[in-house]
Amino acid sequence: MSMLTEVWKLMLKRPFTNRFPAKYAPKNVHGFIRRVQAGKAKLVPPIPPPPDFRGRITYEVDKCIGCGLCIRVCPTKAIEFRVLPSEKPAEGEKPKPPKKKVKIYISRCCFCSQCVDICPKDCLHMSDEFLLANENKLAEELIEK
Amino acid sequence: MNDDPTFIIPVGPVHPALKEPIQLVLTVDGERIVGVDVKCSQVHRGIEWLGMNRNNPIQSIYLSERVCGICNVCHPYCMVMAVEEAAGIEVPERADYIRTIVAELERIHSHLLWAGVAAHEIGFDTVFHYTWALREEIMDTIEYVTGNRVTKAIMMIGGVRRDITTERAERIKKATAYYLENFQKIADIFLHDKSIKMRTRNVGILTKEDALKLCAVGPVARASGVPKDVRQDAPYGAYAELDMKAITPDMYNGEIVGDVYDRIIVRLLEVKQSVELINAALDNMPSGEIVAEKNLVKLLAMLKRADGEGIGRVEAPRGEDIHYVRLEKGKEPFMSWKIRAPTYNNVLPWIPMLLGGEIADVPIVAASTDPCMSCLNRVTVVDESRNREFALTKEMMHEMSIRKTRRLMRND
Amino acid sequence: MINLIYGIAGTFVLGVFAILFGLSVKGIDRKISARMQWRIGPPLRQPFRDVRKLLLKDNVLPDNAVPWIYNAAPIICLASLITILLFIPIGSIPAVLGSSGDIIVVLYLLIVPSIAIIVGGFSSGSPFASVGAQREMVLLISYELPLSMIIFTFAWAYSVLYPGIPALSFSTFEKYPIWNQFSPIGMFGVGIFLIIALLVTTAEMAKIPFDIPEAETEIAEGVFVEYSGRNFALFYLADAVKIVVLSAIIIAIFFPYNLSPWLSAYITLPHWLWYVVDVLFFMLKVVVLSIIAVTFLRTALARLKVDQIVRIYWFHLFIAGVAAMILIALDTMGVL
Repeated sequence: MSMLTEVWKLMLKRPFTNRFPAKYAPKNVHGFIRRVQAGKAKLVPPIPPPPDFRGRITYEVDKCIGCGLCIRVCPTKAIEFRVLPSEKPAEGEKPKPPKKKVKIYISRCCFCSQCVDICPKDCLHMSDEFLLANENKLAEELIEK
Repeated sequence: MNDDPTFIIPVGPVHPALKEPIQLVLTVDGERIVGVDVKCSQVHRGIEWLGMNRNNPIQSIYLSERVCGICNVCHPYCMVMAVEEAAGIEVPERADYIRTIVAELERIHSHLLWAGVAAHEIGFDTVFHYTWALREEIMDTIEYVTGNRVTKAIMMIGGVRRDITTERAERIKKATAYYLENFQKIADIFLHDKSIKMRTRNVGILTKEDALKLCAVGPVARASGVPKDVRQDAPYGAYAELDMKAITPDMYNGEIVGDVYDRIIVRLLEVKQSVELINAALDNMPSGEIVAEKNLVKLLAMLKRADGEGIGRVEAPRGEDIHYVRLEKGKEPFMSWKIRAPTYNNVLPWIPMLLGGEIADVPIVAASTDPCMSCLNRVTVVDESRNREFALTKEMMHEMSIRKTRRLMRND
Repeated sequence: MINLIYGIAGTFVLGVFAILFGLSVKGIDRKISARMQWRIGPPLRQPFRDVRKLLLKDNVLPDNAVPWIYNAAPIICLASLITILLFIPIGSIPAVLGSSGDIIVVLYLLIVPSIAIIVGGFSSGSPFASVGAQREMVLLISYELPLSMIIFTFAWAYSVLYPGIPALSFSTFEKYPIWNQFSPIGMFGVGIFLIIALLVTTAEMAKIPFDIPEAETEIAEGVFVEYSGRNFALFYLADAVKIVVLSAIIIAIFFPYNLSPWLSAYITLPHWLWYVVDVLFFMLKVVVLSIIAVTFLRTALARLKVDQIVRIYWFHLFIAGVAAMILIALDTMGVL
């Protein structure tokens, strides 16, 4: 089979290209996103990720005990230790120790899910969300805490 | 006017024929190449330094994954093999099989990617798009099995991180069936298309003597008739139990020329071989544990106590990859980490391949070794006082090597 | 005076038509090429957007360049191509500057765009551009021989068959279409010449498999490597006009047919509308020819090397041309 004949066959096939997010690149990406949010334009949906996909990390802050193991294994140093200011003790009680938690910068995350494996309290998980582009790497949406 | 008809064409560091920065200084007479000089070290990233100073061994796995974007299983595979040898960790048998399967999946993806790039280099974009469309299947499989399309993050010191469950095994079987079905199509395009043959036959010839003398590795050496393959010569993982033989072009058409066309043959046959290896490995996979030490905290403590050295050798899609790791008691990062990526060996053969060729041959000849520059670059020497790079002389190099050996020896 | 005004207006109208139509053909070419590659491809108006964007960009002049040649080359390239169009009939509209011997003028003018590209390449003072210019020169020398062979064989045949009329004129080709002059054997020769003409078009357009002067993966767009902004936009437009010009030449030589003589037997339309119908038919012919000569070949083949291209034109196509020449000559002289 030579390409001389194959190209005509390919021409009649439906293009292989994945049309996400639109068939042609929109003139203005922000405008397109706003129109999609307003329901005026239609987005070609992405292919759903498979089970156990390593997407954006989720953090259940209440379960965390602040052991800091995730910080130790994170290869990109995307996790930061943080101490919450202790709540004001009620009358006649001893002051509570400050809560130890972590803060995850998604923009630095390399999605290896090593912190998920090491977490003793099972408070970190990988979701299947993968549309994480943002102009600001320190945007609020890109910090899990 | 001078009488010298030659002039110099700089190909690189940034040039459309090169996907990564390296500089080729070509002396040409008209279209003919009369002199070649290769200047490496344009993308040094200090990966080994990070592994020796900043990272603990677990962090280094993911760093080694990023030595190369395409062979991101063989580098961590190689590194964990070295660490396991240094720390004396025994890998469960099932983990060996899973590693083998994932490494072969990667080989299929890498070879198909290469085939597309090679077609692009000779101006055949249709074949480029076509091969990459066929490659989507393996990418989806890798995503299904490991959780991401590119960086697989499956290696762990002492085993692997994910099991190949029944569903995953079925997904892999589906992909291997797809490639067995489509293999003939790809082979027909690459081996029988007249214009591809015109551009690749008798172009960039590397003789067997040159291949041996310049220590070419991987498909480049095999295409020149050197049956050299780590999987066959020093089997690791599950390769010893699978029937594995190095592929040379004479298996296809009974002759060895050592040109670009032969390298295409070798890589295409290796895709088929990988498919067969994966099927065999899936059928023979034993059950059992997938990792030697499940508790990562214990593992880290164990590695901190360990003292010793290890070498990992893996047949990457581009050739033999070597990692040397030395662990020191009480020190969490590696005491020494040395990577020798296959491109390091395959860049020097460019000179005999290109000499006497034409300018038009440069992209396809360079691409035919499947170079990976950021794997190759391990050092950039900068003269701080003058703030520019300079080349080391042989004597300086020798002296530095002696010093390094002494530093490593002192621990024994 | 009337002639002068007619000439100026004709040039202007033709120039605008050729640029707009050429860009549309380019859009169709890109779309079909993409579909042949199993892709979606850019929208049809993409070439117009490209030109608009290029016109907005800075015109960078390299340090080593010879400014006036460097800046003049794209203008000469585009202007000469539009000039060629003045000599070719479009649909049933006669050529603006038609006269006897216009084919010779066209043959010479066809070299000018290539010369402009070569000069522009050499004057940009980059090694890649120099290599590209050398390659363009080799390409020019390669395809000139088969091209002139076609024209002069036909001219000779006309001068034997119809003595007394200008043989080297497009009007003759239009009056006596080439296919009707010969028996099947001569027509076979004409068919060979048609294939040669299509291959020459590909080379003249500098498209894969003959795109060695540009060869993006080898010498980084070669002759155009230093061009940017307005200058590059002019080359882009010249490329778009070129496909119209070259297709128009092939149409004028091989397919000078119009719809109006046949259709007017069935439908009656106002006089001016027949011109529109014929121009639309002409445009359809250009699109079909460009798909065969440019889109299909550039999609289905790899880029060849300089020596291989020279061998194809000077050896393979030369022999085919001589064979066709002999067939036509035998047919014309009535030997067969």
